Amino acid sequence: MLDKYSCLKKLAARRDARDVVVTTMSVAMPWAELSATDLDFAHVDSAMGHGADFAYGIALAQPHRRVLCLNGDGSTLMCLGSLVTITGQPAPNYTLIITENGTYEVTGNQPVPGAGNVDFGGLARAAGVREVHTLETEAEFDAKLDLHFTAPGPAVFVWRIERADEPVPRPTRPIKERAHKLRAALVD
Amino acid sequence: MQASLIVDELKKHGVTHVVGVPDNGARTLFEALWTDNDITIVDVTREGEAFAVASGLYIGGGIPVVIIQNTGFLETGDAFRGTAYNMGLPIVMLMGYRGYLTMVPGSERVDTAASFFEPTLKAWDIPYTLMQQDSDVAAQIDGAFRTATARSLPAAVLLIGTTI
Repeated sequence: MLDKYSCLKKLAARRDARDVVVTTMSVAMPWAELSATDLDFAHVDSAMGHGADFAYGIALAQPHRRVLCLNGDGSTLMCLGSLVTITGQPAPNYTLIITENGTYEVTGNQPVPGAGNVDFGGLARAAGVREVHTLETEAEFDAKLDLHFTAPGPAVFVWRIERADEPVPRPTRPIKERAHKLRAALVD
Repeated sequence: MQASLIVDELKKHGVTHVVGVPDNGARTLFEALWTDNDITIVDVTREGEAFAVASGLYIGGGIPVVIIQNTGFLETGDAFRGTAYNMGLPIVMLMGYRGYLTMVPGSERVDTAASFFEPTLKAWDIPYTLMQQDSDVAAQIDGAFRTATARSLPAAVLLIGTTI
């Protein structure tokens, strides 16, 4: 199993300054400690399950930037159709990372439906995603770190991570302010 | 209403993407858009996704429009609230008004997709106008863009009947 904090550190170190990173739930605050640029967006205080499709929209509008979304397994299950949607219009700059820990971490680690039985990589492949990588060990992660940024999208990475105990994320700024700040960074 | 008039009006406003789910009423509108070279259609599997994708598109510099039916709109609650509305994005939506004619007095069966529709729009703070003939198209779509921009919030045009 992977340690998500270690993975996030490596991802942040490898990330290009032009890349957009959208985070959700139990990854949002740990990521904010590693990177808090105008191109980091915590899809928090928003709509659970809609981080991946939101980030896909950014990727379509910004084809010259890599757009990464870190989405939990519970969030992914809330909008499984997004795995199909992201294969519709090509977004070769889009990377979806599914952090699989089997629980709704921020509400107390209650198990998600099908915990341990769902093959998220298999779901992505069946939905039509060709670039799918399921990572369980640090060696696998290190070997494929670059691919998170270079694989032709839509690319899906499943990180099988250890259970942790992040609380409910609480960004300091309202989502409207954060959204318009991100738009300004992308468009202005 | 002629689908071509609607497409032309969307182009006047610089629309880059249409995000949505086809329905009977807007069938020819989607067919016109699928063959159009200037506007990209993003098909979604569920209407809630439309607001998340459209929000991302707008933040990325696109000008998206959401086209869905009222049935699907009723599914979108949390996605609409948590993305386009809470983010304060001026996204215009065209929504098919299924069941509009069942609400006339004396109707044998009222379609709840229709009877729930406008009360929900009001509850969700969505300004809207009705569009049912060619002569409405330019004014109603232009009005929705103006309203959305002025409020920095979504605004809707409700399509009555079918496009041709």
